[in-house]
Amino acid sequence: MNIEIQTIGDIQVIALAGDVDANTAPKVQQEILPLALPQSKILLNLTNVPYMSSAGLRMLLSLYRQTTAKQGQLVLVGLGQDIRRTMAVTGFLNFFTTCDSLELGLTVFKRENH
Amino acid sequence: MGEALRVVGVLESLGAIAQYVKTAAAAAKLEPAQAYNLRLAVDEIATNIITHGYQDAGLSGEILVWDTCTPKSLIIHLEDYGQAYNPHQWQAEVTPELCQQPLEQRPLGGLGVYLAMRSVDQFRYGRVGDRNHTEFVIFRNPTP
Repeated sequence: MNIEIQTIGDIQVIALAGDVDANTAPKVQQEILPLALPQSKILLNLTNVPYMSSAGLRMLLSLYRQTTAKQGQLVLVGLGQDIRRTMAVTGFLNFFTTCDSLELGLTVFKRENH
Repeated sequence: MGEALRVVGVLESLGAIAQYVKTAAAAAKLEPAQAYNLRLAVDEIATNIITHGYQDAGLSGEILVWDTCTPKSLIIHLEDYGQAYNPHQWQAEVTPELCQQPLEQRPLGGLGVYLAMRSVDQFRYGRVGDRNHTEFVIFRNPTP
């Protein structure tokens, strides 16, 4: 699992690469949860995540709760078909803002600013 | 049947188990979505065996993985010496109704078994002596 964090304007862009399972999810959570500060804008790029188990869903749930509690914004981009299906079956998908690409995801934040 | 895989019951073994399932799914020519779902189901239950069956119970041991492939189905078998468990009992923890609740109110547990059960065509569990035996069945599409 590779985690890259960069800042574009006032948006924190987190790019994950690799499978998110019960072995790797705790590391991801440890790295990214501290980024959920008050009013933070977080874009999670999952373009290079081919697999996510329920451990990954729990990580997303924690991040969602943290950003919501702190009036932040969270956008997921690059969800593969398989992960999208898992999120739909568990009822997660409807609660997240999702975009197909990084470029589109960055635009969503701008739009919510106006 | 491919050669069986024997791994230590720790979370670091999940990658090797996944690789075994992916290889078996490719050999059985499963559809990509079927292969993904099979890997998901096995991964979720293997995670529960490791964390609940072994670690939470203060036990350590191995997980044995093997497959049987027939013209109609691919079956992945998991065998472990952890605490007895019945995934069918856990199934009731998460329901489709619960999945419609706002994320703020959702419990964190039970999702893995819910996903595992829904991801395969048949799910079988049995306690044989001091071992848990779990089977995941995927029906193969007939070759045109």
